[in-house]
Amino acid sequence: MKRRTLIGMLALASMLPARAAEVQVVRMWTLLSGGDGARMRALVEEFNASQQAVRVESTTLKWGEPFYTKLITASVVGAGPDLATIHLSRLPNLAGGGVLRSIAPAELAAVGLAGDDFLPRQWTKSQHAGRTYAVPLDQHPLVLYYNKNLAGKAGLLDAQGNLKPIEGMDALTDALRRVKAATGKAGLTMESAQSSYAIWRLWLSLLAQQGLPVVANGRFAYGPAGEATLARIAGWFQAGYATSGMDYPASTSQFMGGNAGFMINGVWEVPELVRGAKAGTLGFEYGIVPLPKLYADASTWADSHGFALPANGDKPMSAAKAHAVLSFVAYVSRHSLGWAEGGHIPAYRPVAESPEALALQPNAQYAAAAHSVVYDPDGWYMGAAGPLEAIASKFLPAPLAGQLTPADALRRFETEAARLLKKRAPQY
Amino acid sequence: MTSIHRRRETLPAMLLLAPFLVAFLLFFLVPALQTFWLSLTDSSLTRTSAFVGLANYATLVQDPSFWAALGNTFYFSLLTVVPLTVLGLVMALLVDRFTRAGAWLQGAFFLPFVLPISVMTLIADWMLQPTSGVVNYLLGMQRAWFADVHWAMPMVAIGTIWWTVGFNMLMFLAGLRNIPRELYEAAALDGARGFALFRHITWPQLRPVAWTALVLQLIASLKIFGQTYIMTTGGPYNTTRVTLHYMYETAFTQSDAGYAAAIATAFVIVVVLLSLLQGWIARRVGGRP
Repeated sequence: MKRRTLIGMLALASMLPARAAEVQVVRMWTLLSGGDGARMRALVEEFNASQQAVRVESTTLKWGEPFYTKLITASVVGAGPDLATIHLSRLPNLAGGGVLRSIAPAELAAVGLAGDDFLPRQWTKSQHAGRTYAVPLDQHPLVLYYNKNLAGKAGLLDAQGNLKPIEGMDALTDALRRVKAATGKAGLTMESAQSSYAIWRLWLSLLAQQGLPVVANGRFAYGPAGEATLARIAGWFQAGYATSGMDYPASTSQFMGGNAGFMINGVWEVPELVRGAKAGTLGFEYGIVPLPKLYADASTWADSHGFALPANGDKPMSAAKAHAVLSFVAYVSRHSLGWAEGGHIPAYRPVAESPEALALQPNAQYAAAAHSVVYDPDGWYMGAAGPLEAIASKFLPAPLAGQLTPADALRRFETEAARLLKKRAPQY
Repeated sequence: MTSIHRRRETLPAMLLLAPFLVAFLLFFLVPALQTFWLSLTDSSLTRTSAFVGLANYATLVQDPSFWAALGNTFYFSLLTVVPLTVLGLVMALLVDRFTRAGAWLQGAFFLPFVLPISVMTLIADWMLQPTSGVVNYLLGMQRAWFADVHWAMPMVAIGTIWWTVGFNMLMFLAGLRNIPRELYEAAALDGARGFALFRHITWPQLRPVAWTALVLQLIASLKIFGQTYIMTTGGPYNTTRVTLHYMYETAFTQSDAGYAAAIATAFVIVVVLLSLLQGWIARRVGGRP
């Protein structure tokens, strides 16, 4: 008996170093910067501290085209990471091009995840050709931020100090005008310099509100409404309610500095406002509402982050490694309330539908936006910093600055993008 | 006798040339041929696929974006080639003229050339800032130079001239210092003064250097990519997007390596033709023997 215990202990002892050597290192690439980057780093550290079997090493790369180019080329030659954060809008390009490895339902089940755990819209966006290629993390729609002090002076608030409902393009235009007239500050701020993506997101939203897609069946399908809508937005800039030529940092600091009544931007600016309000540096009270119903409905552009596993060419990952990767993904899903503090709406339903998440401020103010989000249309050239968005970011800001007429800007946009729409989806 | 002698010299010559030839073949000629092959295929960023013959070129000649980019490249060359050559000559004459301050001037003129492109573009960007830049401060305006469709390219050109003129100055300086002093002395004895000395001695002696500088400058200017890519990202609305930038976007943003290779190959042909044309003009004008 004693002897057996000894042998058993010896055997156990001899296994210890072996087990320690079996720590699975998961290399992750993310494009998350700023507050998102800090929150993801915190989640990684918490996960690493919570167990010994898996250690996640995260590398942050430059957002946008450089990230995707690197991910694609690295994955093809088998030098990619084990895990990457991507935008679900890029899934048709990445999954269709063979850059990602599909995730089997059994692999998800092994870490306690299932498709039903995720909001249906985001889960659908994670599928390609009948397989799962990503685990959705969140959604981040475009919303309307407002400065209560300025909006109050312009008579736009109700008795409770919240924004009176705005409905229709004329009503919003009038609200911007009233802020400008009553306070002398800008009515609206949004990123508007050349190479801005904000105008694409707003334009896409307003077209969707009119039931029009940008592209359908490989053709531009927005028709005359595309030009009219762009002209309405450009009108705010021409009338002086908004300043053209503002790059992203300049546009957000205009709002944070209390110099604009409204800001149209994604929810990712929420943490900065929360921080400023908490630290007492903000200097005004703010509110957030979903993008209003300006045409037929309240459709608003959104994108989602998701976790994906690069295919890594002829170096597919072992089952053990895949399990380790997905156990981290499951951990983040279950702890995505922290992610919601970044303004994002979690995609994992047990968190998204929890009382804590529903009560979270200021997220609750714009939670309704989640019901009417539209993504970039499906297509290999679509999605965050994808080829078509890159082209749009060259031409759509020009009418805001009065450099091109809306018709001319769209004509150039279509000319430049024509070859893209005709091209077959690339295989990598 | 001579053939044996020649053969005896061939082997060492080949051996001495080998390091260059190997590097040239491996890193220049083979990739160039591969690029040409790629231009005949329908390839993505990472996968070479179907041979499509000249289809990419057929698309290219009807591609307004390509012609616009080529036009922007020529515009930039127009703004830089002659000014850079003339300014280099003037600077070299100044350095040569002032014996005591010459070394100091030479250093000042050449200094920007040693800057990496990232530093040069950063400096230009600071100086041209709409609200805080020194240029607008001096002019008393708030112009966003790089967002201005009329000013973006000229500003890139001015930045480039400041950055690279030092190299041309060095070439001219070397040319100037190769002119025998006796020529000037003889001319002075004949009563030549000031501009006459430049016109009848300096310029004829420098002309071959000037043509070389022009050819090198033309190729350098046509090759522009980094300055516009960093300072204007090709904007506003592609008015400063040059040929190589279009090639870059096609390959990396649009994952269309086949078409990008066709752009590259077509561009090489354009550059070679222009260089030949320039050489022909040079011979006609009598700059080179």
